[in-house]
Amino acid sequence: MANENVLIIGGGAAGIEAAKGISGLGFKAILVEKRDRLGGTPDEEKYAALTPDLRDTQEALGDLMAPIKDNPLVDIHYNTLVTGASGELGNFTIKALQLGKEIEFQVGAVIIATGFKHFDPGRETQKYSYYELDDVITLTDAEKMLSEHKFVRPSNGEEPKRLCFIQCVGSRDRRLGNEYCSKVCCGISSKQSIEIKKLLPDCKIYIFYIDMRMYGYWENEIYWPAQEKYKVNYIKGMATEIVKKGDKVLVKGEDTTLRRPMEVEMDMVILAVGMEPSEGTQQMAEIFGLNKNKYGFIETTGGCLDTVSTNVPGVYAVGATTGPADLEDSVSTGGLAAMKALSAIRSLAVTA
Amino acid sequence: MPQALDIRQNKYSDVTQEEKDRLFQECKDDERWSHILYGCYECGICVAACPSARFYDFSPRLIAQAVAREDTDLIYTLMNDSVWDCSQCFSCDRCPRGNSPGQVITVMREVAVKNGLNTAKEALEGYGRIIYKIMSTGSQVSPDMLQPNAFPDWGHHVHDIAENLDVWRKALPPETLHTIETGWKVDEKTIIELYLIWHMTGVMDLILGIDEGLHMILVDVMEERLEEAGYDIEFD
Repeated sequence: MANENVLIIGGGAAGIEAAKGISGLGFKAILVEKRDRLGGTPDEEKYAALTPDLRDTQEALGDLMAPIKDNPLVDIHYNTLVTGASGELGNFTIKALQLGKEIEFQVGAVIIATGFKHFDPGRETQKYSYYELDDVITLTDAEKMLSEHKFVRPSNGEEPKRLCFIQCVGSRDRRLGNEYCSKVCCGISSKQSIEIKKLLPDCKIYIFYIDMRMYGYWENEIYWPAQEKYKVNYIKGMATEIVKKGDKVLVKGEDTTLRRPMEVEMDMVILAVGMEPSEGTQQMAEIFGLNKNKYGFIETTGGCLDTVSTNVPGVYAVGATTGPADLEDSVSTGGLAAMKALSAIRSLAVTA
Repeated sequence: MPQALDIRQNKYSDVTQEEKDRLFQECKDDERWSHILYGCYECGICVAACPSARFYDFSPRLIAQAVAREDTDLIYTLMNDSVWDCSQCFSCDRCPRGNSPGQVITVMREVAVKNGLNTAKEALEGYGRIIYKIMSTGSQVSPDMLQPNAFPDWGHHVHDIAENLDVWRKALPPETLHTIETGWKVDEKTIIELYLIWHMTGVMDLILGIDEGLHMILVDVMEERLEEAGYDIEFD
């Protein structure tokens, strides 16, 4: 007899949506989360507002997780790490560690939603001095400030008058090994530009880019407003180096379309860091024997027509476990995996 | 003021399309080619890192783009008027695509020299004395080539040092530096091997292509010394 419970590993947007799907269809979802609260990276790294709709992160996540809180069909286990797995579709035994105590789950299918981590700009091939200069920060550092509704130079606490974003830090780089586009950073930089302009209308903002990639509605929802309403300057050209100059930072790059080298003084620089597989995602791939691609993300088996199935029947990978993903991808794959997990278990019951 | 690079007017319209295509094909046939130019984002990080681009109308991005687009007209112009502005420092190697515009330029320069392009001859004209020094002695610029008046920014003490240069050199700890005619003392065996390498790898033919006079002087020096060492080598 197949076990009809589904285990979901990771309580971010993808995992929450998967739990909603399983419980909504009338089955039991067991959700394990390593932290002591749900919400995933947007919550842990204190995102201010979501891209592209600029909705307050805590409010949006609250709405997303409301249906699984106090839901008898959803068992949430906080402070829990999955440490081992055995069995097969319809009959998995999962070992986990909960605050030092070993526990076990019996489930029919598993959905892995352990997400990504941000690229560490200390490992970059360019010389952006992230660890040397206080006024060089990352998108996530900026989110933290924006969530507190203030935006100041870390070096002296003053409001910046001129700042720039540098795109593709840790992405699209053959020398680094991260050849992929991280997909969300263009949109997030543009979104943050709008938020900063709302706080500091006189601040001049520049975005140095290789290609701006805001497809679909992100184009009219963030790119156009940033450029047209908030007068953010988009300059095609990559910076090669950031150095200290007095109490400012000097950014060296080329304004390629005007064909001139430039050295511009900035009060702050925000590095648009990309995505890499999280430690959790790499560990789960090992534990469940999942194929990984050359970048360490979990490989799905069905190309563009099956975005969640893995080489192990009954184990599904969602959200940013399979590659850079935005929140739209995360909830879409979370819901899809809930449906696929249950249909795999149910078809087992029918053929048995 | 350096002359602005003219990429719009076809300065070399008298050169046939076939010849321009042939020279580019020679670049592409180089075995380094496939891993020094992949594709180009046209992001300009190479220009941003390039010291020459700060001072001259020179752009490693332009070279990478022209080559990626296989625009043989523009490539020919760059091969004549631009590649010599590169200092071959390879700062452009920080390209995210893994391109090396500097190495693309190395290959283009080699093709320009091998084919005896006039601009290559002109570009290398000023270096005859240095090429002679390097190839005849196996060392580089030597202390006796320095004129005390040539570099006023080095200060007055250069005069004092120049007067007793041989004594100063003898005060240096490494024995190999106790010379003023060469950058350092070059071992007899080393110089003979260098002559043989330059002969066998076609470097002497390259020199003949760009500077006949220099080639003649070098051959005189080399043939004599090789003969003394027991080698019966004929140049040309």
